[in-house]
Amino acid sequence: MTQRGLDLERVTQAMGEFGLVEQVRQNRIRVASTRERVRDAIVRAKDRLGCDHVIQIACVDTGKVLELHYHLTGAHRTVVTIRAELPRDDSRIASVHDLLPPAGIYERQMHDLMGIRFEGHPDLRRIILNEDWPESEYPLRKDWKMDPTKFYGGVRKEAT
Amino acid sequence: MKLSERLVRWARLKSPWIILFNSGACNACDIEILAALTPRFDVERFGILAKGSPRHADILMVTGPVTRKQAKRLRMIYEQMPDPKYVIAMGACGASGGVFKGLYHVVDGVDKIVPVDVYVAGCPPRPDEIIDAVVRCLELMKKDMERGGKTWRIDEGTEEPRTEAATA
Repeated sequence: MTQRGLDLERVTQAMGEFGLVEQVRQNRIRVASTRERVRDAIVRAKDRLGCDHVIQIACVDTGKVLELHYHLTGAHRTVVTIRAELPRDDSRIASVHDLLPPAGIYERQMHDLMGIRFEGHPDLRRIILNEDWPESEYPLRKDWKMDPTKFYGGVRKEAT
Repeated sequence: MKLSERLVRWARLKSPWIILFNSGACNACDIEILAALTPRFDVERFGILAKGSPRHADILMVTGPVTRKQAKRLRMIYEQMPDPKYVIAMGACGASGGVFKGLYHVVDGVDKIVPVDVYVAGCPPRPDEIIDAVVRCLELMKKDMERGGKTWRIDEGTEEPRTEAATA
Protein backbone atom coordinates (compact mmCIF):
# COMPACT_ATOMS: atom_id res chain seq x y z
CA MET A 1 0.00 0.00 0.00
CA THR A 2 1.40 3.33 -0.96
CA GLN A 3 0.18 6.55 0.52
CA ARG A 4 0.24 9.85 -1.30
CA GLY A 5 2.82 12.35 -0.09
CA LEU A 6 1.91 15.46 1.84
CA ASP A 7 1.44 18.70 -0.05
CA LEU A 8 2.17 22.22 1.12
CA GLU A 9 -1.51 23.01 1.62
CA ARG A 10 -2.11 20.16 4.03
CA VAL A 11 1.00 20.91 6.06
CA THR A 12 0.10 24.61 6.20
CA GLN A 13 -3.33 23.73 7.49
CA ALA A 14 -1.94 21.60 10.27
CA MET A 15 1.24 23.45 11.15
CA GLY A 16 0.56 27.03 10.05
CA GLU A 17 0.15 28.35 13.57
CA PHE A 18 3.71 27.35 14.52
CA GLY A 19 5.40 29.55 11.94
CA LEU A 20 6.17 30.00 8.27
CA VAL A 21 5.64 26.85 6.20
CA GLU A 22 7.55 26.57 2.94
CA GLN A 23 8.30 23.94 0.38
CA VAL A 24 12.09 23.70 0.24
CA ARG A 25 12.00 21.27 -2.67
CA GLN A 26 9.84 18.44 -3.81
CA ASN A 27 8.83 16.16 -0.95
CA ARG A 28 10.52 18.35 1.64
CA ILE A 29 8.57 20.91 3.66
CA ARG A 30 10.02 23.16 6.35
CA VAL A 31 8.26 24.76 9.30
CA ALA A 32 10.10 27.64 10.97
CA SER A 33 9.07 27.20 14.58
CA THR A 34 10.48 28.61 17.81
CA ARG A 35 12.14 26.78 20.64
CA GLU A 36 9.18 27.14 23.02
CA ARG A 37 6.82 25.56 20.52
CA VAL A 38 8.92 22.72 19.10
CA ARG A 39 7.35 20.12 21.38
CA ASP A 40 3.82 21.21 20.46
CA ALA A 41 4.76 21.25 16.78
CA ILE A 42 6.09 17.69 16.97
CA VAL A 43 2.95 16.48 18.77
CA ARG A 44 0.84 18.12 16.06
CA ALA A 45 2.93 16.63 13.26
CA LYS A 46 2.54 13.20 14.84
CA ASP A 47 -1.21 13.51 15.32
CA ARG A 48 -2.32 15.34 12.20
CA LEU A 49 0.32 14.47 9.60
CA GLY A 50 1.31 10.97 10.68
CA CYS A 51 4.97 11.98 11.14
CA ASP A 52 5.93 9.30 13.64
CA HIS A 53 9.49 8.68 12.48
CA VAL A 54 12.49 10.90 13.22
CA ILE A 55 15.09 10.64 10.46
CA GLN A 56 17.64 12.87 12.09
CA ILE A 57 18.01 15.94 14.24
CA ALA A 58 20.55 18.30 12.76
CA CYS A 59 22.26 21.13 14.57
CA VAL A 60 23.83 23.96 12.58
CA ASP A 61 26.07 26.66 13.98
CA THR A 62 25.50 29.63 11.67
CA GLY A 63 27.92 31.82 13.58
CA LYS A 64 25.11 33.89 15.09
CA VAL A 65 22.63 31.31 16.35
CA LEU A 66 22.38 27.55 16.74
CA GLU A 67 19.70 26.05 14.51
CA LEU A 68 17.99 22.76 15.27
CA HIS A 69 16.31 20.87 12.43
CA TYR A 70 14.02 18.01 13.38
CA HIS A 71 13.56 15.94 10.22
CA LEU A 72 10.38 13.89 10.58
CA THR A 73 8.66 11.54 8.20
CA GLY A 74 6.07 8.78 8.17
CA ALA A 75 4.34 6.33 5.86
CA HIS A 76 3.68 9.16 3.38
CA ARG A 77 7.47 9.56 2.83
CA THR A 78 7.38 13.36 2.86
CA VAL A 79 10.07 14.93 5.04
CA VAL A 80 8.67 17.59 7.34
CA THR A 81 11.43 19.65 8.93
CA ILE A 82 10.70 21.61 12.09
CA ARG A 83 13.25 24.33 12.68
CA ALA A 84 14.10 26.17 15.88
CA GLU A 85 16.76 28.76 16.63
CA LEU A 86 18.65 28.95 19.90
CA PRO A 87 20.85 31.82 21.09
CA ARG A 88 24.47 30.77 21.51
CA ASP A 89 24.82 31.88 25.14
CA ASP A 90 21.57 30.28 26.34
CA SER A 91 21.21 27.08 24.34
CA ARG A 92 18.46 25.28 26.23
CA ILE A 93 15.52 23.45 24.67
CA ALA A 94 12.95 20.92 25.84
CA SER A 95 13.84 17.30 25.14
CA VAL A 96 11.57 15.27 22.87
CA HIS A 97 12.87 11.84 23.86
CA ASP A 98 9.44 10.88 25.28
CA LEU A 99 7.63 11.74 22.04
CA LEU A 100 10.22 10.20 19.71
CA PRO A 101 12.42 7.71 21.60
CA PRO A 102 15.27 7.65 19.02
CA ALA A 103 15.68 11.40 19.48
CA GLY A 104 17.32 10.76 22.84
CA ILE A 105 20.55 9.56 21.32
CA TYR A 106 20.76 12.52 18.90
CA GLU A 107 20.24 14.81 21.86
CA ARG A 108 23.11 13.23 23.74
CA GLN A 109 25.35 13.75 20.72
CA MET A 110 24.37 17.39 20.30
CA HIS A 111 24.85 18.00 24.00
CA ASP A 112 28.31 16.47 23.71
CA LEU A 113 29.57 18.27 20.60
CA MET A 114 27.53 21.50 20.39
CA GLY A 115 26.68 22.16 24.04
CA ILE A 116 22.91 22.24 23.80
CA ARG A 117 21.11 21.43 27.06
CA PHE A 118 18.04 19.28 26.48
CA GLU A 119 15.86 19.85 29.51
CA GLY A 120 14.03 16.74 30.67
CA HIS A 121 16.46 14.30 29.07
CA PRO A 122 17.04 11.52 31.61
CA ASP A 123 20.64 10.71 30.78
CA LEU A 124 22.80 13.39 29.13
CA ARG A 125 26.07 11.50 29.38
CA ARG A 126 28.95 11.86 26.92
CA ILE A 127 28.53 9.69 23.87
CA ILE A 128 31.33 10.61 21.45
CA LEU A 129 34.03 12.51 23.32
CA ASN A 130 36.36 10.81 25.79
CA GLU A 131 35.43 10.61 29.45
CA ASP A 132 38.16 13.02 30.58
CA TRP A 133 37.32 15.75 28.05
CA PRO A 134 37.02 19.07 29.95
CA GLU A 135 33.59 20.44 30.78
CA SER A 136 31.98 23.22 28.73
CA GLU A 137 34.23 22.76 25.69
CA TYR A 138 32.18 22.11 22.58
CA PRO A 139 34.43 21.26 19.61
CA LEU A 140 31.85 21.59 16.82
CA ARG A 141 30.97 25.19 17.63
CA LYS A 142 32.39 27.57 15.05
CA ASP A 143 34.12 29.80 17.60
CA TRP A 144 35.78 26.93 19.49
CA LYS A 145 39.56 26.82 19.59
CA MET A 146 41.76 24.36 21.37
CA ASP A 147 43.39 25.87 24.44
CA PRO A 148 47.02 24.67 24.39
CA THR A 149 47.32 25.02 28.18
CA LYS A 150 44.44 22.62 28.82
CA PHE A 151 44.52 18.84 28.96
CA TYR A 152 41.94 17.31 26.65
CA GLY A 153 42.34 13.67 27.60
CA GLY A 154 44.43 10.79 26.36
CA VAL A 155 47.72 9.96 28.06
CA ARG A 156 49.57 12.69 29.90
CA LYS A 157 53.08 13.49 28.69
CA GLU A 158 54.74 12.53 31.97
CA ALA A 159 53.18 9.05 31.80
CA THR A 160 54.71 8.04 28.46
CA MET B 1 74.66 -19.18 26.00
CA LYS B 2 72.55 -21.84 27.62
CA LEU B 3 70.60 -24.26 25.53
CA SER B 4 67.28 -23.05 26.91
CA GLU B 5 68.07 -19.46 25.92
CA ARG B 6 69.00 -20.53 22.43
CA LEU B 7 65.79 -22.49 22.18
CA VAL B 8 63.68 -19.48 23.24
CA ARG B 9 65.51 -17.27 20.78
CA TRP B 10 64.99 -19.67 17.93
CA ALA B 11 61.31 -20.13 18.78
CA ARG B 12 60.68 -16.40 19.01
CA LEU B 13 62.19 -15.68 15.61
CA LYS B 14 60.48 -18.62 14.00
CA SER B 15 57.01 -17.80 15.17
CA PRO B 16 56.19 -14.24 16.21
CA TRP B 17 52.63 -13.86 17.44
CA ILE B 18 50.99 -10.56 16.66
CA ILE B 19 48.07 -8.71 18.13
CA LEU B 20 46.08 -6.22 16.10
CA PHE B 21 44.85 -3.04 17.67
CA ASN B 22 42.69 -0.43 15.99
CA SER B 23 43.38 2.87 17.69
CA GLY B 24 40.92 4.84 15.58
CA ALA B 25 41.64 3.78 12.00
CA CYS B 26 39.24 4.08 9.10
CA ASN B 27 39.34 0.27 8.71
CA ALA B 28 41.34 0.26 5.48
CA CYS B 29 44.54 -0.84 7.26
CA ASP B 30 42.60 -3.54 9.12
CA ILE B 31 41.25 -4.92 5.86
CA GLU B 32 44.78 -5.05 4.43
CA ILE B 33 46.06 -6.86 7.52
CA LEU B 34 43.26 -9.39 7.22
CA ALA B 35 44.13 -9.80 3.55
CA ALA B 36 47.72 -10.49 4.58
CA LEU B 37 46.53 -13.24 6.92
CA THR B 38 44.48 -15.01 4.24
CA PRO B 39 45.96 -17.83 2.10
CA ARG B 40 46.70 -15.59 -0.88
CA PHE B 41 49.47 -13.74 0.94
CA ASP B 42 49.77 -16.26 3.75
CA VAL B 43 51.89 -14.81 6.54
CA GLU B 44 51.63 -18.08 8.40
CA ARG B 45 54.57 -19.38 6.36
CA PHE B 46 56.69 -17.06 8.54
CA GLY B 47 54.99 -18.52 11.60
CA ILE B 48 53.00 -15.33 12.16
CA LEU B 49 49.78 -15.90 14.03
CA ALA B 50 47.20 -13.28 14.98
CA LYS B 51 46.31 -13.75 18.63
CA GLY B 52 43.39 -12.42 20.60
CA SER B 53 45.23 -11.52 23.78
CA PRO B 54 48.14 -9.11 24.25
CA ARG B 55 49.54 -11.46 26.91
CA HIS B 56 50.29 -14.01 24.19
CA ALA B 57 51.76 -11.60 21.64
CA ASP B 58 55.27 -10.51 20.69
CA ILE B 59 54.37 -7.81 18.16
CA LEU B 60 51.69 -5.16 18.54
CA MET B 61 50.28 -3.90 15.24
CA VAL B 62 48.58 -0.55 15.64
CA THR B 63 46.41 0.81 12.85
CA GLY B 64 45.33 4.38 12.56
CA PRO B 65 45.81 7.64 14.42
CA VAL B 66 45.40 7.42 18.18
CA THR B 67 42.20 9.01 19.39
CA ARG B 68 41.96 10.45 22.88
CA LYS B 69 39.57 7.69 23.83
CA GLN B 70 41.87 4.93 22.64
CA ALA B 71 45.15 6.38 23.95
CA LYS B 72 44.76 4.97 27.45
CA ARG B 73 43.59 1.61 26.14
CA LEU B 74 46.55 1.38 23.76
CA ARG B 75 48.90 2.12 26.63
CA MET B 76 47.25 -0.59 28.74
CA ILE B 77 47.45 -3.17 25.95
CA TYR B 78 51.13 -2.34 25.45
CA GLU B 79 51.85 -2.72 29.15
CA GLN B 80 50.18 -6.13 29.25
CA MET B 81 52.52 -7.59 26.62
CA PRO B 82 55.45 -9.70 27.87
CA ASP B 83 59.00 -8.52 27.12
CA PRO B 84 60.57 -8.36 24.59
CA LYS B 85 57.78 -6.48 22.83
CA TYR B 86 57.75 -4.76 19.46
CA VAL B 87 55.35 -2.27 17.93
CA ILE B 88 54.54 -1.79 14.24
CA ALA B 89 52.69 1.42 13.33
CA MET B 90 50.58 1.02 10.21
CA GLY B 91 50.13 3.57 7.47
CA ALA B 92 50.38 7.33 7.27
CA CYS B 93 48.02 7.76 10.23
CA GLY B 94 50.05 5.50 12.48
CA ALA B 95 53.23 7.41 11.65
CA SER B 96 52.02 10.98 12.10
CA GLY B 97 48.24 11.18 12.27
CA GLY B 98 47.89 11.41 8.48
CA VAL B 99 44.82 13.31 7.34
CA PHE B 100 43.60 13.39 10.94
CA LYS B 101 46.68 15.19 12.27
CA GLY B 102 45.85 18.06 14.59
CA LEU B 103 42.16 17.31 14.98
CA TYR B 104 40.56 17.93 18.33
CA HIS B 105 40.01 14.29 19.13
CA VAL B 106 43.31 12.68 18.09
CA VAL B 107 46.77 12.76 19.66
CA ASP B 108 48.40 12.09 16.24
CA GLY B 109 50.88 9.26 15.74
CA VAL B 110 51.27 6.02 17.65
CA ASP B 111 54.73 7.08 18.87
CA LYS B 112 53.11 9.72 21.10
CA ILE B 113 51.75 6.91 23.26
CA VAL B 114 53.99 3.85 22.87
CA PRO B 115 57.53 3.45 21.46
CA VAL B 116 57.36 2.30 17.82
CA ASP B 117 59.94 -0.01 16.24
CA VAL B 118 58.79 -0.26 12.63
CA TYR B 119 56.74 2.17 10.56
CA VAL B 120 54.92 1.01 7.44
CA ALA B 121 54.27 3.63 4.76
CA GLY B 122 51.12 3.73 2.68
CA CYS B 123 47.48 4.62 2.95
CA PRO B 124 46.68 1.78 3.37
CA PRO B 125 49.86 -0.30 3.02
CA ARG B 126 49.57 -3.30 0.71
CA PRO B 127 49.70 -6.77 2.28
CA ASP B 128 53.17 -7.26 0.72
CA GLU B 129 54.38 -4.20 2.60
CA ILE B 130 52.89 -5.50 5.83
CA ILE B 131 54.72 -8.80 5.37
CA ASP B 132 57.90 -6.86 4.64
CA ALA B 133 57.40 -4.86 7.83
CA VAL B 134 56.97 -7.96 9.96
CA VAL B 135 60.05 -9.56 8.41
CA ARG B 136 62.03 -6.39 9.10
CA CYS B 137 60.73 -6.46 12.64
CA LEU B 138 62.07 -10.00 12.95
CA GLU B 139 65.48 -8.84 11.69
CA LEU B 140 65.39 -6.06 14.26
CA MET B 141 64.52 -8.62 16.94
CA LYS B 142 67.48 -10.74 15.91
CA LYS B 143 69.87 -7.78 16.08
CA ASP B 144 68.47 -6.79 19.46
CA MET B 145 68.98 -10.30 20.79
CA GLU B 146 72.58 -10.34 19.61
CA ARG B 147 73.28 -6.98 21.26
CA GLY B 148 71.26 -7.59 24.38
CA GLY B 149 68.30 -5.23 24.16
CA LYS B 150 67.08 -2.14 22.36
CA THR B 151 69.61 0.27 23.88
CA TRP B 152 72.13 -0.04 21.01
CA ARG B 153 69.64 1.68 18.72
CA ILE B 154 69.56 4.86 20.81
CA ASP B 155 71.22 7.70 18.94
CA GLU B 156 73.27 10.23 20.79
CA GLY B 157 71.12 13.16 21.80
CA THR B 158 67.79 11.38 21.43
CA GLU B 159 66.26 9.17 24.05
CA GLU B 160 64.03 7.04 21.88
CA PRO B 161 65.49 3.94 20.22
CA ARG B 162 66.10 4.36 16.50
CA THR B 163 63.36 2.84 14.38
CA GLU B 164 63.08 1.09 11.08
CA ALA B 165 61.05 2.50 8.20
CA ALA B 166 59.69 -0.24 5.99
CA THR B 167 59.20 0.88 2.41
CA ALA B 168 58.67 -1.54 -0.40
